[in-house]
Amino acid sequence: MTLASFSSASRVTSIGRQTALRVAPTVALSFAVIAIVIAWSVAPSLFTGHSPIVGVPADKLLSPSTAHWFGTDHLGRDLYTRVVYGTASSVTSALIAVVIAAVAGGLIGLLAGFLGGRVDIVLARLVDVLLAIPNFLLAVIVVTALGFDTTNAAIATGVSAVAVFARVMRAEVIKTRQAIFVEAAFLLGGSRWHILLRHVLPNASRSVLPLAVLQFGLSILVIASLAFLGYGDPPPASDWGLLISIGKDYLKWPWLVYAPAFVTIATVLSVNRISRWLRKTD
Amino acid sequence: MSNAYLADAAKRLAQAFIVILLAYVLTFVVVSILPGDPITNVLRDPQNGFSEDEIKAIIAAQGLDQPIPVQLWTSLSHFVIGDFGLSMRSSRPVATLIAEVLPSTLILASAAFAIALLLAMTIAYGTQFIPKQLGQGLLRGFPSFFLSVPNFVIGLMLIHVFGFQLGLFRVIAPNSFWATFFAAVALGIPVSARIAEVLIANLDKESEQEYAAVARGRGLTQMRLFAKHLLKPSSLPVVTVIALAIGELLGGSLITETVFGRTGIGSLVQRSVSTQDLPVLQAVVSLAAVVFVLVNLIADLVYPLLDPRVKLVDGPRERPSTADDSATAKSAAVTS
Repeated sequence: MTLASFSSASRVTSIGRQTALRVAPTVALSFAVIAIVIAWSVAPSLFTGHSPIVGVPADKLLSPSTAHWFGTDHLGRDLYTRVVYGTASSVTSALIAVVIAAVAGGLIGLLAGFLGGRVDIVLARLVDVLLAIPNFLLAVIVVTALGFDTTNAAIATGVSAVAVFARVMRAEVIKTRQAIFVEAAFLLGGSRWHILLRHVLPNASRSVLPLAVLQFGLSILVIASLAFLGYGDPPPASDWGLLISIGKDYLKWPWLVYAPAFVTIATVLSVNRISRWLRKTD
Repeated sequence: MSNAYLADAAKRLAQAFIVILLAYVLTFVVVSILPGDPITNVLRDPQNGFSEDEIKAIIAAQGLDQPIPVQLWTSLSHFVIGDFGLSMRSSRPVATLIAEVLPSTLILASAAFAIALLLAMTIAYGTQFIPKQLGQGLLRGFPSFFLSVPNFVIGLMLIHVFGFQLGLFRVIAPNSFWATFFAAVALGIPVSARIAEVLIANLDKESEQEYAAVARGRGLTQMRLFAKHLLKPSSLPVVTVIALAIGELLGGSLITETVFGRTGIGSLVQRSVSTQDLPVLQAVVSLAAVVFVLVNLIADLVYPLLDPRVKLVDGPRERPSTADDSATAKSAAVTS
């Protein structure tokens, strides 16, 4: 046992070192984008001297310039500042959604795959039912029932993604359960719960990571859509989706749409690229 | 069409029916048990000016004074025979409200679907013929790019470029040909990205198979190889994706109709959400589930007929195209 774990550990580090050296440029760029986004959400005031709420009416609807990178909106507020300050809410809500989906879906999949039998049949039906309702509609009715704000939109988005995680987790658990080392653990007299937590869960959750990253990008899009429809926090909040939604009424000044859209797209593209990279290196 | 196939098909049909009923129950539970009380919120809104007696009468007429299991049973039994009840807002039958806006959404969704399919095939097949130097990478990047763009942004860009700059259509006339066309493009692009993704992956997989190498060795041109060998096996799994895309079209129409100012199911949902008109929401979501389940059922049943390698196995949606299938199929065979 010790020998086996030792050799696998050394293999993991050597692979890690190789990939660290051989990261594709697009992957490096993606990490850079995500680093900026994280920095924006942690300390927005470091990146801009303007206020996201106070506008200068005389400066309304200015086009992008060195003074105002993304131009100004209809109230004379600096759009770049609004985007930077809106990052925290947009990113955190996507994170909440992923955590809800991964924990709830992961738990369902784990129990269904590990216990099998009746539990599996009941949970599989539940997942079927969740899958049967189009994701976005599900998110919309959940947020309607909960009330309109960004946290609720995040919860709704998470609920609508539970089924995906449940399916993947279940498939992984079943695959892991049939592995020889799990059988060996059973033969050595390990209890069900010990094996579930010590052996099955860590191995099965490895493939959930790329999915979680992918879902993070997707959640940004869904939450932006909910914000666009007005189901998130109302202005003066500046979630990306909300900024685009405000911009749509001022299409003659298109940067009001394109600038926040550009940031959203760049973020989601980067997240998706990282997810693909994780899946390949796994 | 063996007996085994028919037996399995019957079983699938029964399962689909159960899933639809459960989806109805789930929606009902979500809208009636979650915190927040839309009914009193709306009815007691002073703007509506209902008196206490009127509120009581409305609550009694909707059966909202009954315990929740009784309400569920009543509405479920009505749902089964196709009665969706009355809108809480306008007191008109929900079925009428839906029937009024359905044609507009159907036109939009079917146009979007056609565009999505055409675009996806053009792109996927293009990757097989356009050499690496001439922008094959651009075509390959299409799906992952458009899966990262919020769908309302696509709509806004189209309105900005073709409506504002080029003056090709007017946003204030949402039912004109061009407005409908661009709305369909906006709705179709994300769907086409999903289909193209699968098509490209399948084409790559098939062209790495040994039979493709043999065919190349025999001196087949890329064109003949594609047409004779690659086209069919790589297109079959797309049936599955198409079935899944229907759900996306339904959800996406909500956004697209808002962006383009069209009336339709999406705007009906939008309106019902803002007035918290639960019977309408319940009906639309259940109908969406019905459509989704039926389309997927058809895909499941047709698939083995198109591809003789695939047998209809019991269990939830087992086809060779998706990644997690082989494991799930195995377990489904074991557990049931």
